[in-house]
This record gives sequence, structure tokens and C-alpha cells, in this order.
Amino acid sequence: MFMLVAAIAAAATAAIVLATLTSASKPGALARISNHGHRITLRSNSLTRNLGIDEASLLAVRGGHAYYLLQTQNGPCGAVGQPDKPDVVGAAQCPQGHFPTAEHPVLDLSVYESATHQLGTVSLYRAEGITADGVAAVQFLRPDGSTALTVPVTGNVFATTSVPSEPIAGVAAVDRGGKRVWRSP
Amino acid sequence: MLVVMTRVLFVIALCCAAAVVALAQPSRASAGWCWPNCSTYGLLYAWTSSNNGCWYSGGEVCSGWSYWSLNGVSKTCYPGCDYWRQTPGQILYGFENSARIRGSFTRLPGTWFIHPSDVGMGGYLRAQVTEWQGTVSQINAAAAG
Repeated sequence: MFMLVAAIAAAATAAIVLATLTSASKPGALARISNHGHRITLRSNSLTRNLGIDEASLLAVRGGHAYYLLQTQNGPCGAVGQPDKPDVVGAAQCPQGHFPTAEHPVLDLSVYESATHQLGTVSLYRAEGITADGVAAVQFLRPDGSTALTVPVTGNVFATTSVPSEPIAGVAAVDRGGKRVWRSP
Repeated sequence: MLVVMTRVLFVIALCCAAAVVALAQPSRASAGWCWPNCSTYGLLYAWTSSNNGCWYSGGEVCSGWSYWSLNGVSKTCYPGCDYWRQTPGQILYGFENSARIRGSFTRLPGTWFIHPSDVGMGGYLRAQVTEWQGTVSQINAAAAG
């Protein structure tokens, strides 16, 4: 009888440990991208060769631009291209290590500009990027911390060319509940 | 270490490519550009300058004027990344002409590439990297024509 109880207890403990490990190994909503896009073959050029791209996925086409997630020998990269040339990648961002993570759920591919020579003043030219599943919108912040622009995220991509001309001093990400989950700087 | 070596080699490759293009098209691209050179990293502070008339008088290094087609930047954690794996400095990397400067920001270590068409620019430009915020960025920058 004692042996039977011990065996059941051991089996239950093992099941709990296994369940815990399985749950812990699943990436959280800020550390995964569910949009796998359409796998494409990129045209070989010096950029693709040097990035060592194993796999390229076209995530979305928005506002006249194509957005890619690249799997390379050194980790994931986010990239932008032209929809009329889907096999050619333009700007690419390849952070060291994994993307996304809870610490870095947003890859901000936005283009900023300034027409003054005063360092520290910049405005948006185009707002775009790739985010983790847990990001519902990306906010662009004024120097006083208030929100100048909110861009919703669909299919892990945010993009708009309708941007304010006012100065931008930071970027933040919010979840579906409106809670801020990331900010830079 | 292998990753760092790979990136430095890529920067060198970019410069070689730029040199080939420059030789092939002397009227359009005079040379490739690397900072601080094509084989090592340099420290970009708020007072760093390449002293060639960049958009900002301090905190920026820029190429000479040319028909650039690609600007690539490799950024390291040096002197140390924080808990969120952010480097000590935020950079703006991209291009500039006589009317404006455009580019993207990053504070992360990694490799970053941008073309003039990505920022809606073209023609005779300077490739640039600017220390925007923070203390210092260890980078290697290279542009190809």
C-alpha cells in the first residue's frame, strides 16, 4: 500500500514538474511573433550574402512598403523593402541575440528626420516596425512624454506615413489593455 | 568573437565593394567610406567629429559627398550593456544632404543597414552616424557607393 501511494505521489510530482517546464519553455506574448508571413526567396546580393539569411518571410505590405522577418545565422532581423520588388530587402535591423524579447518587443524601423542643425530635435518621416504578439499599438512620444502619434499593430507590423511634424523624443509599446509594456529611451 | 569578426569582415567587404564600384564608376562614386577605418571599431562620443562639415558639429561622423547606395553600422555593447541589453549610447544612422538629415535610431548592439531609398533620399549624399543620446557608442561604420 505504501509503495502504491509513493508511486502515485512520484508520478504526480513528475507531472507537475513536466507541466511547469513545458509552460516555462513557451515564450510569452512579448517574446513571440505569430505572423509567419509568406516564405520568399530573396535575390542574392552583397547584403543578403553577408547577413547569411537562412529564411525570409514577407510579413505584410502596408502603405507602400513590404515588411520582412529574416532568420539569419546570427539571429532574427527585421527588414523593409518595396512591394514591387518583394525579393529585394532594403533597410535591415539585426539586433544581437534574439528578437523579440520581453525587454525588446519592438523593432523600430521608423525613419526620422531633422532640418535643423540643433542636435536632439527630430521628427518622424515614416513610422514603421515589427513587434511581438503582446504589442497592440506603438506610441511616438513628444519631449514632454505625451503621446504625439499612436499606430496600431496588425499581424506584428505597424506602419503609417501619416505622421505629425512635431518633435519626437521616444517610442513606447502598449498591450491590448493600454498598459505600457516597453519604452525607448 | 566570431560574430564580431564576421561583422568586421563584412564592413571590410563593403569597403572593397565600394572600391570596386568606385573604380568602375569614377564619376559617380569616388571611394568607399569606413569609420574609424575598415578593420576596427571606434568610440563615438557627443564631442566626436570627423571634421569634414557634417550636419552636426559634434557627435557625428560622416562620409564625404558621393552617390552612396548603402550605409552599414556594427554596434557593440562596449563598455557594457545594461540589464535590458541596451548599449550606453543611442545612435542615428542614415544619410544627409544640404537640406536635411534622415535615418533610424538604435540603442541595441547588432548590425544595421540602410539605403538612401529607405529614407526617401537620393543623389549626392553623405552617409552618417550620430551619437544621439547617452554616453558612448562603439561602432564601425561603412558606406558603399
